[in-house]
Formats: sequence, C-alpha cells, structure tokens
Amino acid sequence: MSADPTVKTTPPPVVQVRDMDFCYGTSKALFDINLQVEYHRVTALIGPSGCGKSTLLRCINRMNDRVPSARVTKGEVLVKGKNIHDADVDLTQLRKQVGMVFQKSNPFPKSIYENVAYGLRIHGEKNKNALDEAVERSLTHAALWEELKDRLQANALALSGGQQQRLCIARAIATVPDVLLMDEPCSALDPISTLKIEELMHQLAKEFTVVIVTHNMQQAVRVSDYTAFLHLGKLVEFAPTEELFTNPREKLTEAYLRGTFS
Amino acid sequence: MNSTPTNDNPFAGDSSGIQQRETAARWGLRVGSYIVVLITVAIMLHIFVKGAPVVFRSQWPFVNTQFLTELPATLHVIEDQQGNHIETDVNGADAVKKKLGDHFRAEKTISYSGGGILGPIVGTALLVIVSVGVALFLGVACAIYLSEYAKHGKFLEMVRLAILNLAGVPSVVFGLFGLGAFVLTAPRFVGVPAERSVFAIPLGFTTISFEGWDTCVLSGGFTLAFVILPVIITASEQCLQAVPQGFRETSMALGATRWQTIRYSVLPFATPGILTSSILGIARAAGETAPIMFTAALAFKDKLPWQKDLPPLPADASIFAHWEQSVSRFLGIFTESVQALPYHIYTLAAKIPQNEYAERAQYGSVFVFLVLVASLAASSVLLRKRLRAKYRW
Ligand SMILES: Nc1ncnc2c1ncn2[C@@H]1O[C@H](COP(=O)(O)OP(=O)(O)O)[C@@H](O)[C@H]1O
Ligand SMILES: [Mg+2]
Repeated sequence: MSADPTVKTTPPPVVQVRDMDFCYGTSKALFDINLQVEYHRVTALIGPSGCGKSTLLRCINRMNDRVPSARVTKGEVLVKGKNIHDADVDLTQLRKQVGMVFQKSNPFPKSIYENVAYGLRIHGEKNKNALDEAVERSLTHAALWEELKDRLQANALALSGGQQQRLCIARAIATVPDVLLMDEPCSALDPISTLKIEELMHQLAKEFTVVIVTHNMQQAVRVSDYTAFLHLGKLVEFAPTEELFTNPREKLTEAYLRGTFS
Repeated sequence: MNSTPTNDNPFAGDSSGIQQRETAARWGLRVGSYIVVLITVAIMLHIFVKGAPVVFRSQWPFVNTQFLTELPATLHVIEDQQGNHIETDVNGADAVKKKLGDHFRAEKTISYSGGGILGPIVGTALLVIVSVGVALFLGVACAIYLSEYAKHGKFLEMVRLAILNLAGVPSVVFGLFGLGAFVLTAPRFVGVPAERSVFAIPLGFTTISFEGWDTCVLSGGFTLAFVILPVIITASEQCLQAVPQGFRETSMALGATRWQTIRYSVLPFATPGILTSSILGIARAAGETAPIMFTAALAFKDKLPWQKDLPPLPADASIFAHWEQSVSRFLGIFTESVQALPYHIYTLAAKIPQNEYAERAQYGSVFVFLVLVASLAASSVLLRKRLRAKYRW
C-alpha cells in the first residue's frame, strides 16, 4: 500500500464514524458515536434491543435514507476515507462496496443463480462467463457451492432457512464489497445453521470486513475481533472483544455482561 | 330455575332465552344468504332459459352461427293466410311476398332484431382494448408512483381520496365528461382546423387543433378508461404493497436504483395481481352503457369498423402506398363509431316496440354477453392461479 514496502503502515480504518448524531425526525436515536472498523476484522455491535445497533449499522451504507426525515445531524461517516454524505457520492456505488445481510433471510422468489447474480446484473454485468464465475465464487465463499451446484436453477425459496440466509450472504458478496454489514443474521435460525454461519464469518473476514449486529453475547465472543457496546443510543465501550468481555472498563458494560441490567 | 340441587347436570343452560336468540340470529343470517343465492341463481336461469335457445341449435353445428357472425338487421316477418310466420331480411321480403301471392296476409318489420350481433361484439371488443390499454398504462403508472415514490403525507392522502371519489362518480357523469373532453375538445392533428375548434396551434406542416375526436372508439375507450381507472389503481397499489418490503430493501442494499428495484424485484411479483384486477376491469368496461352512449356507440351501423371505402389504389401503386393504406385502414378502426353490446341490449329493450322477436334478440345478446363476461372472470382466476404458482414467496 505504501510507496516504500519496508515501512509497515497500518491501513486506515475502512469505516470511520466520527462524533455522529442521528435522528429519526425529532427523536434522537444515536448520540455522538465514534467507531473505527479495521480491514479484515469482524466487528460486533451488541447492546439491549432498541439501543440503536441497527440504526448505526444502516448509517454505514446509508440505508437509513429510505426512512423519511431520518438523518445524520452531526458528525460524519467515512468509508474508505471518503465522507459518504458528500454530494459526489453515488449511492449505488457505495452500496455495491458496502454489502448488507438482513435479519430476516429474504431471497427473491427467483432461481438460486439469479439471486446471486442480481447485484452484478443491476451493475451492468452481461457477460455470461463473468456471471457464472461470480456465482460460483460467491456460493463457494458462502459454503453453499457443493450443496447447490447441481440445482442452480431451482427456486431459492425451496432452500432451508439456514441455506437461504447463506444464499443472502452469497448474494451480498457477489459484487465483492469491501465491507459486509450483517444485522442479526442468525436470530431466526436454528443452532446448527447458526453455527455454520458463525464458521463462515471467520472465512469471510479473510476477504471482506465484517460488521455484525448481534443480541447474542456468546456469538460476539465466538465471531468477533472487536466489540462495541451500545446503550440508549450511546456507544458505551469499544474494545477488542477479549478485552471487553474479560475486563470491561465501564460499569455499564460489566452490568450488561453479567446480565444484571436495570 | 333448573339449577336446583336435585338436578345433577352441572352444565345445564339457563332459560333466559340466550339459546333462542342464538338460533334466531343464525337463521336470520342464513335466510339472508339464501335469498341472495336464490336471486343470483334465478337471474342466471332466467337468462339461460330465454337466451340459450337463441344461441344454440339442436342440430350441427349446435350454435346459431348466423347470430354470432352477422350484423344486426331489420327483421321482416311475413304472415300467410294459414297464420304461418316467415322470417326474412329486407332483401328476401319481396321474394317471399311474390311466392306467397294470394296467401300473403300481413308484413311486420322489427328493427335491429334480425341478423346477428357481430357488430356489437366487435365494437365492445375494440372499446375494451382501448380502455384497458389506456387504464392499465395510466393506472399502473399512478399506482407505482403512489406506492413507491410519493412521500406519505397530506398530498398522498388527497390523491387517494380523489381516486376513491372517482370510483363513486356515476357513470353517466363520465359519459358527459367524455363528450365534452374527448368528443368535442381533445387535440388532433389536422390540415385546416374545423370551425368548432376550441383552440388551434399551427406548427407549419400541420396544426394541433382542439376540435375533439368525434364519437368513435377512441373517445369511448378513453372515457371507459376513466371509469375503470380507480379499480385498477386501487388494485394495483394493493398488489404492489403486497410485495414484501424486504425485497426492496435487499435490492437497494445491493446498489440498485429505485427504478431498477421496482423493475426487477417489485413489478414481477405484483404483475399477477395487477393482471387479474385488469381482467375484472375488462368486465366492468364491457358492461357500461352510459359512458359510451354519447362518446362511441351507435344504435345501428351496417358496416364493421374496418369495412371502409378507401379510394382504390392504382395498379402500379408502390408497396409503400399499399402499406400506408393498410396502416390507415387499421388506424381508421379506432376513429369509427361502433355498436356495443350493452348499448345494443339497451336499444332492443327500450327503444323499439316489444314483441317476441325483439325479446328473442335481447335475450340472445344478454346471454352472449354473460358468457363473455363469465369466461373473462374464469380466465382471470386461472391466470392468477398459474402466475401465483410461478411467483410466490
Ligand atoms: N424507522 C424508524 N423510525 C423512527 N424511529 C425508529 C425507526 N427505526 C428505529 N427507530 C428507533 O430508533 C431506536 C433504535 O432502533 P434500532 O436501531 O432498530 O435498535 P436495535 O437494532 O438496537 O434494536 C429505537 O428507539 C427505535 O424505536
Ligand atoms: Mg435491530
């Protein structure tokens, strides 16, 4: 990355949230958030429900733009060093490079192939070989290729819940995003499917940067390198996962981790 | 009363009359439903009993082809001395009279009741094509805008209210509106504006003149389009709303623009419902009389819309000239006034003296009309089933 290969520079964080306030209309949902997401790491956002985890996650690919009157009222969000609220930012390009997987697996009622190819197609890819390749690569990353390679034309809705969610992951990574946002991707899955996706997470981090929202603290411990704890719209503590879970600096974090929360 | 200790049934009901009221309520509702069913069946049977004999035959080909393939004509009924009635058309009347000679007793003519109803069928089909085309285009565009683009708020509420109100406007009002708007003022390209032109914009090579389209398929079709527009907008919007929000979110999160999202992950899944509702719109458009009365329909017309006399082309006319004439013949279909089934039925029932022959033509037309509408409804159900099976989530 740097001009002189002998000098080791750490790359800048891929996502930087600086002093950000966020409002839904007149009600403030996030207060003064600061967060850095490092390349090729898994960062977990934990906290009680309603604390603003999803809101924060959706700030990173500006999905909150869909909510009328919702906006960032202070601070800024930088992805790959660029302020994503700048006027010259093309939302479609931003979202191509910041993929997202939702809580509820929602494959389109189309074939498996078409689901994975969707992102590439809307970005203008017409070459059949390129599409085939991307579909195979993405399904392989999502640990689905072996299971599904013989029925790519089958309807995606015929898959099991866990397979559907992994298909959604494959669909999100088909455009080779830098960052993959996941909003409670396992909360609707059975334990075995959850395990598969957690295993996947480590693999994915090699290629992409993952930010995952989870309400399951054990999951955060298992999959993440960094953890951010949010409470009532404030980022209480952000630290390497091991540190945060074994030796929290804040009283509030400790109370939450012990389960003695008021 | 019956809860004395001697009674060993702990669940005995009391006698306050609650059971009786329950029974009364159930029977009341049941009787109401039976009356509805009964009347529906009565209507169907009535039309079937009176109409089927007109349309069907007991001999091969079992269908009265004349009734379906001929234009309506004046019926001549000639009675001989024995009291036999001979039915014929205007051309056959003299021959029959001559043949009967002294046996001729009397002749009756009944307007519109002879021949068949091909003219009205064709006219209704054309009106339906135009109106459903226009209404689908405008209606789906409007529904997409309302459901996918418009911001929720006062304005949207007002638009919705306006559409609901449109649905409540009596159809004769649409007829008058169509007369004023399409027949008398709609813009058209002309060489020289007519005297009645409201407003003309000369463009040099041609003139846009607001002088109306006259009574024709186009005027009637547009008028009917506004009659069925509320149905199509409301139904289309419901179909769009029924597509899970998750599809839109996912598509946008993958970097799709709003229109791409609509095009690839909303519309395909809403189309089955939209088509179904538009088929019901067809039935509605086909059945309306008032909107076409002043805008498109004629009681009588002895030609089909494409049977128009165009000047014959010279023998050495170029292929282009032939092509141009075909196109103008095709376009001419939509600028002709036509007969239409509901208006034909109205004419037969209300505009001519009633007798057995007029009644026969009436019920035949009604029967054909009902069969057409019923098959449309049936095909909409089938279509929905097939598309649902293909696109379900
Ligand atoms: N679309 C919205 N409009 C208004 N308020 C919202 C919206 N989405 C979330 N909120 C509010 O923002 C706060 C944070 O919500 P969210 O980010 O979904 O929490 P979490 O994902 O941590 O459960 C909650 O108080 C919620 O009520
Ligand atoms: Mg959430």
